[in-house]
Amino acid sequence: MQGFALYPFDPPGDAAALRTDLRAWLAANQPAGDVVARANCWASFDANFSRALGAAGYVGMTLPTRYGGGDRHPLERYVVIEELLAAGAPVGAHWIADRQTGPLILRYGSEEQRQRYLPGIARGELYACIGLSEPGAGSDLAAVRTSARETAEGWRINGQKIWTTGAHFSHIMLALVRTEEGSERNAGLSQLLIDLDTPGITIRPIIDMAGHHDFNEVFFDDVLVPHGALVGERGQGWKQVTAELGLERSGPERYLSSHALLVALIDAAGPAPDPALATLIGELTAEIWTLRQLSMSTAAKLAAGEDPMVEASVVKELGNAFEQDMPRRVQAIIDRDWDDGDDLARLLRALLIASPSFSLRGGTREVIRGIIARGLGLR
Amino acid sequence: MSAARDMLCDTARAVFTGASDIAPVEEAGFALLLIPEAEGGFGGDWGDVDAVLQIAGVTVPDLPVAELILADADDRLRAAATVSLMAGAMGQALALSIEHVNMRQQFGRLLGKFQAVQQSLAVMACEVRAVEAAAAALAARLDAVGRDPSAADFEIAAAKLRANRAVGVVTAVAHQVHGAIGFTEEYDLHRVTIPLMRWRGAHGNDAHWAQILGRQAAGLGGRGLWEAITARGA
Ligand SMILES: Cc1cc2nc3c(=O)[nH]c(=O)nc-3n(C[C@H](O)[C@H](O)[C@H](O)COP(=O)(O)OP(=O)(O)OC[C@H]3O[C@@H](n4cnc5c(N)ncnc54)[C@H](O)[C@@H]3O)c2cc1C
Repeated sequence: MQGFALYPFDPPGDAAALRTDLRAWLAANQPAGDVVARANCWASFDANFSRALGAAGYVGMTLPTRYGGGDRHPLERYVVIEELLAAGAPVGAHWIADRQTGPLILRYGSEEQRQRYLPGIARGELYACIGLSEPGAGSDLAAVRTSARETAEGWRINGQKIWTTGAHFSHIMLALVRTEEGSERNAGLSQLLIDLDTPGITIRPIIDMAGHHDFNEVFFDDVLVPHGALVGERGQGWKQVTAELGLERSGPERYLSSHALLVALIDAAGPAPDPALATLIGELTAEIWTLRQLSMSTAAKLAAGEDPMVEASVVKELGNAFEQDMPRRVQAIIDRDWDDGDDLARLLRALLIASPSFSLRGGTREVIRGIIARGLGLR
Repeated sequence: MSAARDMLCDTARAVFTGASDIAPVEEAGFALLLIPEAEGGFGGDWGDVDAVLQIAGVTVPDLPVAELILADADDRLRAAATVSLMAGAMGQALALSIEHVNMRQQFGRLLGKFQAVQQSLAVMACEVRAVEAAAAALAARLDAVGRDPSAADFEIAAAKLRANRAVGVVTAVAHQVHGAIGFTEEYDLHRVTIPLMRWRGAHGNDAHWAQILGRQAAGLGGRGLWEAITARGA
């Protein structure tokens, strides 16, 4: 971890124009929607918006054109998602497919899988979910038990996934399963790309504490998928998943998903806030500025083909802390009742309730700190 | 990092280490760091200042190296310089802490093998990283605007404030994992932690910069703040 320098964030082409064009596009195309949907907006589902965004070339941007992508640089995509999140655009439907499943299929998938799935992902029409967690495998992901046995007809899957965000609207699941009978821990795992309309799959909603239906339980009862469902190498699932998590942890969503609250706070404060409010706004501003530098540097490193596992974890840790701290501090200082109906009060309530999940999803705080400690040479 | 900066850093390390007053630093010509080459100076940029001051923050935190380099510069540039000193000192506090927990045993194990210790140090490392990033981004901004503090006012405020806010966690965790040895005069830790406590209040404490930055952000408005941040870099 020593000798830290910022990796230069240097997207090719005219990044400022990309930003301006997208802002203009959003001004014309972003649904007015409810202000609460602008917070945590990568959980806001809007199929029409996703399709329009795809048609405008802002989904699957980094995929090659032969698969319907835009052949753009990963840092151009970074600029785009940063703008989408800061605007609170409803990107939840296609978010996971665009962020991680698409790139993973491109990297490890067969030609057939690429042709079959990538064009739909790039159109913003094909949605994906992540099948990692199981009832007995949370932080300890290597305890995965869902099994897939190779038979003459294909893979037979039995078991259960849980907490699967978006399984109820997704077309495919990229699942981590145990393909080698009797294997243990992180050996013998593989990734399968499962069409969710395959017979034998049951998806049951789990309602979260905000009353939303975002995540699910997914049961596999003798589900048969073709041999071609295997992604990458048999038995290399652990390695592939680890790469996938790198994509998942360092993005601007780790500090911009509550941005709507900061915007509402500043707007409610007006141009000349009292000293206490100015202090809070100043401290929050310093934090997002710093987080943005860290996140951009990590993205640039990732784009250069390096594996910034520790940096990505630092972004997630600091981003989660910031996003959990913000609603608490806002509540401590502004004068609002729990049930007030203005934008600020409603955003505040929604984010206070949503915020415990920030340091759970995508790896818990303790797991993330453990990765950082390993980077420090302590484990 | 450029070859010239590498050499500059090597010189800084050699000259600063063991220096007990500012004379050898002066003799080595550090006052010329920012003077243009045409005027007989080194022709350095703020990236160079940042690199040299990070080393000064570790090796000679009590010598007025920043004052020497900056001469009669604006106080806001002194605040910027302090961020670099702080980043250096925090890096050192982290390095000493890691070294210590990898050496000291209790309950038959190295301290660093205890999960509670690992998690504390991870928290500290995140703070150090944040300040290093703030120092680097501030340096890039200052160099992009010809070191005009008015054009880098946002970054100076944000970086100094972020550095100030990291001091509490960094000094607390560093001392906690060291135990009593870190509280002695003999051991090196206080050589960086006391300066960190001092720098938090120097050239603008938290309230000072938070007020300035908060009012600036409020003046921009919610959406305007985002537009300003993105317009100012990348
Ligand atoms: C909103 C949300 C969306 C999610 N979406 C998905 C999804 O789409 N796909 C998916 O696969 N999963 C998803 N998850 C699941 C998520 O990845 C898990 O919640 C997470 O990995 C933790 O597992 P767990 O909930 O079983 O907690 P546990 O592993 O039981 O952990 C409980 C607590 O104990 C701590 N703990 C556990 N082990 C240790 C240890 N060795 N040392 C110290 N502390 C420890 C944890 O850090 C945590 O604080 C989602 C979760 C949430 C909240």
